[in-house]
Amino acid sequence: MNRRIEKNRLKPPATVPAPAAVVKRPRWNARAWREQHASSCRESLGRLAARPAASALTLTVLSLALTLPLLFWLLLDNVRALSGSVDDARAVSAFLKPDLDATAIEAEARRLRERPDVAGVEVKTPEQGLDEFRSRSGFADALAVLHYNPLPAVLVVALRASAGEAAPALVEELRRDPAVDLVQYDAQWRQRLNAIVATVARGAAVVAALLALAALLVIGNTVRLDIQGRRDEIGVMQLLGASDGFVRRPFLYTGFWYGVLAGVMALILIGLVEWALSAPLARLVASYDRQFDVHGVSSAVMLAVLAASAALGWLGAWLAASRHIASGQPQ
Amino acid sequence: MIRFELVSKRYPSGHEALSEITFEVGDGEMAFVTGHSGAGKSTLLKLIALLERPSRGQISVNGRSLQQVNRRGIPALRRGIGMVFQDHRLLLDRSVIDNVALPLVIAGAPRDETAKRARAALDKVGLLARENALPLSLSAGEQQRVGIARALVSKPPVLIADEPTGNLDPQLSAEIMGLFDQFQQVGTTVLVASHDLPLIKRMGKRVLVLDHGRLIDDFRPAAA
Repeated sequence: MNRRIEKNRLKPPATVPAPAAVVKRPRWNARAWREQHASSCRESLGRLAARPAASALTLTVLSLALTLPLLFWLLLDNVRALSGSVDDARAVSAFLKPDLDATAIEAEARRLRERPDVAGVEVKTPEQGLDEFRSRSGFADALAVLHYNPLPAVLVVALRASAGEAAPALVEELRRDPAVDLVQYDAQWRQRLNAIVATVARGAAVVAALLALAALLVIGNTVRLDIQGRRDEIGVMQLLGASDGFVRRPFLYTGFWYGVLAGVMALILIGLVEWALSAPLARLVASYDRQFDVHGVSSAVMLAVLAASAALGWLGAWLAASRHIASGQPQ
Repeated sequence: MIRFELVSKRYPSGHEALSEITFEVGDGEMAFVTGHSGAGKSTLLKLIALLERPSRGQISVNGRSLQQVNRRGIPALRRGIGMVFQDHRLLLDRSVIDNVALPLVIAGAPRDETAKRARAALDKVGLLARENALPLSLSAGEQQRVGIARALVSKPPVLIADEPTGNLDPQLSAEIMGLFDQFQQVGTTVLVASHDLPLIKRMGKRVLVLDHGRLIDDFRPAAA
């Protein structure tokens, strides 16, 4: 018998516990529940920090899977804002022959207004056209050199909303009209642009869904390995009467932290991309006289990204945990 | 408190570990289960804690028929049974006090109460001074006493122990058995599987003898 054991000799029976017959089963306790969640939350983060290399690798993969769709979305959002700033293109611009005088122009406008498929006609005189051109094109200095106004009068014909035909009859008639020099009808390229944007948006959504699935699997697999590594501990807890929920909880927090941290990393990566592009973009915008603006990720979107990635992490962990913890108990 | 009625257990391999076992251990009684290795001692204890389901027969523990306990009910059943293992099954990366407190944490007790009761349980097995040590720094006997403190910290009405003294020398074994005896004296029902016959004899308690899965003797000492 060594001395340590001697020292730790058992207490006399006087100190034994109260009779087992008066055992009270602990009831559900809100404070205990909060404490346990807080400690699971802390411990899970601590476990990630305890294996920095493995955690960093997983987080990098996850954050890239989040960054890619976010970049797509940012690009699309900017393109949409840009195309939205183009005037509604259910309008036909008819550039009149330059030799027409004001009465002839008015007569032409009146004739068009009477047509049933025309909602309204706006007359832009050459003077108005010149003012607009000066203010919007950035060629004000060059125009000042001109001694005369080279612009013709323009009739902007708003069409009544009709079926989405590619080119309404009016466009053809105007093209044949002797008073009209040139007809510009924007709807066609605009429809094409919209179709392109919609296609790219759908493609981006598909890519985002695939990457989200990949993120789910990465988190699920990481948590599965974590569960396998702690199989003995889980077994002991189950022997002591831990419910599936209790055993699952720390792993759910692990998934949650993977999600949140990957979301933060993705936002940092987006920030870096924005920073890298900011100088050339600013030059591009300046060259267009700031007729459009480029925006980054708003704080609302940042919050949404964090919430979504946290939810993704939680879900991935939940799938793995419910699949791999349930085994090992008799039915 | 623990009742077996014609209980048989056949493993999927075809091995019949227990055949038509019938016995009852009353409230606050202490009994040993003994027999050669492979006689079915461990299986019998596993059935009580629902680590295994019986193939045939009825078991009831704490007045509950185990047949009516479904998968979701198993954790609650186990929280009412203290379990001690030969290899003590402590979590090696947690301190002694955290190991002892684990059943209370699992049962959802608040932290201040958990710490207080875990210390009280450690004090009872004489290891309060080692509360912050890691299990591997303790001797085998001390580790087993931590395991006993953990089994009793939530004051379960039933305690089962599978070869709790299997790795210990005779003197330590006697100490451990003395602990079980103390808990029985305050009303806990105790069932201990052991093949240490001299020790069992000295304890002077009821003994259930298994042989090839059959209950061949139920010996009650005259004094009891």
